[in-house]
Amino acid sequence: MVGARNSFSYRLVRVLYLLILTLGALAMLIPFAWSLSTSLKPLSESMAYPPVWWPHPFDWSNFVAIWTMVPLARWFLNSAIVAVSVTVGNLIIDSLAGYALARIPFRGRSILHLGIVSMLMIPFQSVMLPVYILLRWLGLLDNYGGMIVPGLVSAMGVFLMRQAFLTIPQELEDAAMIDGAGRLRMFWQISLPMVTPNLMTLALMIFMGSWNNFLLPLLVANRSHLWTVPLGIVMFQQEYFVNWPYLMAASVLATLPIAFLFLVFQRFFVRGVATTGLK
Amino acid sequence: MAGIEGAGSSSLPAVAKSNAFRRRARRELGVGYMFTLPSVLLLFLFTLGPALYSLYLSFFSWSLLNHMHFVGWKNFEQLFQMPLFWISVRNSVVFALVVVPTQTVIALGLAAILNQNLPARGFFRLAFFFPAVSSSAVISIIFMWIYNKFGLLNGFLSVFGIVGPDWLGNPQFALSSIMVLNIWTTSGYFMIVFLAGLQAIPAELYEASAIDGASRWKSFTHITVPLLSPSTFFIVVMGIVGTLQMFDQSFIMSQGTGGPLNSTTTIVLLIYQFIFSYGQVGYGAAATVLLFILILLATLATNWWFKRKLDYL
Repeated sequence: MVGARNSFSYRLVRVLYLLILTLGALAMLIPFAWSLSTSLKPLSESMAYPPVWWPHPFDWSNFVAIWTMVPLARWFLNSAIVAVSVTVGNLIIDSLAGYALARIPFRGRSILHLGIVSMLMIPFQSVMLPVYILLRWLGLLDNYGGMIVPGLVSAMGVFLMRQAFLTIPQELEDAAMIDGAGRLRMFWQISLPMVTPNLMTLALMIFMGSWNNFLLPLLVANRSHLWTVPLGIVMFQQEYFVNWPYLMAASVLATLPIAFLFLVFQRFFVRGVATTGLK
Repeated sequence: MAGIEGAGSSSLPAVAKSNAFRRRARRELGVGYMFTLPSVLLLFLFTLGPALYSLYLSFFSWSLLNHMHFVGWKNFEQLFQMPLFWISVRNSVVFALVVVPTQTVIALGLAAILNQNLPARGFFRLAFFFPAVSSSAVISIIFMWIYNKFGLLNGFLSVFGIVGPDWLGNPQFALSSIMVLNIWTTSGYFMIVFLAGLQAIPAELYEASAIDGASRWKSFTHITVPLLSPSTFFIVVMGIVGTLQMFDQSFIMSQGTGGPLNSTTTIVLLIYQFIFSYGQVGYGAAATVLLFILILLATLATNWWFKRKLDYL
């Protein structure tokens, strides 16, 4: 690996790599840039062909108009209610189960663990039909409950939290046990604070999944005041088919919260994927 | 646990110690069940239970409004004679066969490059990963606009004098367009999984192979690829499970119809239509059962293939 020829080829390869990465990054970002560009154009300019990239002048009126055209504020509120409830539920339920599977020896634990992990092979789409019938029977159609309850636990979350609790040194719990602490107190006061970064990862992944969820609201929410942002935008698209600037403005607004969370907490997202490999 | 008890009660007589141990173990058993109960209950109610329930429903005829009655294997027989069912199976299988290898190879390539010591790695990782955290609904809408007859893609192609089709309105291109969208969304996501796997490969292996005079490509195919196979296996299985139940993109881009000419009807979209358009719960349940079998077979085949490949190494 020495010599001028090698160092030249080394530099060539690096340039090639950077070129590939740059083209790839462009391909990833252009759709978002294009939706932003379209959202800032009046309808007439958006229809220009071949397409114009730079809106002149910037027209912010689409961002004002869509709030009155559709109950967008209500959809944001619905998305927030559902996503926050689902996230809180998962934080509690997943970490309780993950803790028990990692730290409490009890009969049937390994079978339970295997059973929960195998639920990862049954994603929601495939059981849509029986879940719909079940929600209908439970009276959970057309209300928040139907969009929240099925998401309150995630097998991925239990798995993630179990992995986290496995890394806590046993000595810490031993000390608490000698002091006569019950399991719930040990869980709450000693173990849980030690896995805060993992809780953060879990919260972000669950929030993102719930915020972006399309199918469950589609099944549950018939009336427009219960729609979440993704469902509302799709319904909006079917009504205002030709007005792309409005649609793109709504898309930009829907992407902003997740983009913000992602930019600020990127490393938690990355770690979540790297640990579980799952959404 | 023995260590804990030993440390906690070393001054107690042996009998009391074993009693305390048993009490603790009994209490622990209850606590273990209590902590896992909410998860188990909810997973049973909304995942395992529904999977079993769909098996039960697949033997009944029911429209949600009338009384259900037992029909035996008739739903399956009807389904097998239905051209639309086979179209949906073909679409889903073709979709998986194209998307899974492509996204796996792209993800591996990007990860291998990003694992080098290059400038702006953080930015690139961010850019590739971002589509995966965005909403499938929003992305589908954005791509509908890009794929429009007079959209960005055809505008770009016109620079080269190519007159592009109406990508989503043309049965020849609609499914492929959704494939591209799907690959675009998930490649960066799986790249992160590969990156985690790559970081676990010891650097000494590469140094040793460089000393032996192996080229970059050779060390990639002889060290990186084989050592990454646990990650690859995982990514392929998750890819299969994900692609075989693709729904959102098809539904949104075809306005729920699976059109044009059923070219984007996937199995899950057909299941949706069985409930909400045709009121045929039994057919939908039978299709659900067949989807499970398809996913199971595909996963087993992948498992077998990876095992065989590992034996050769």
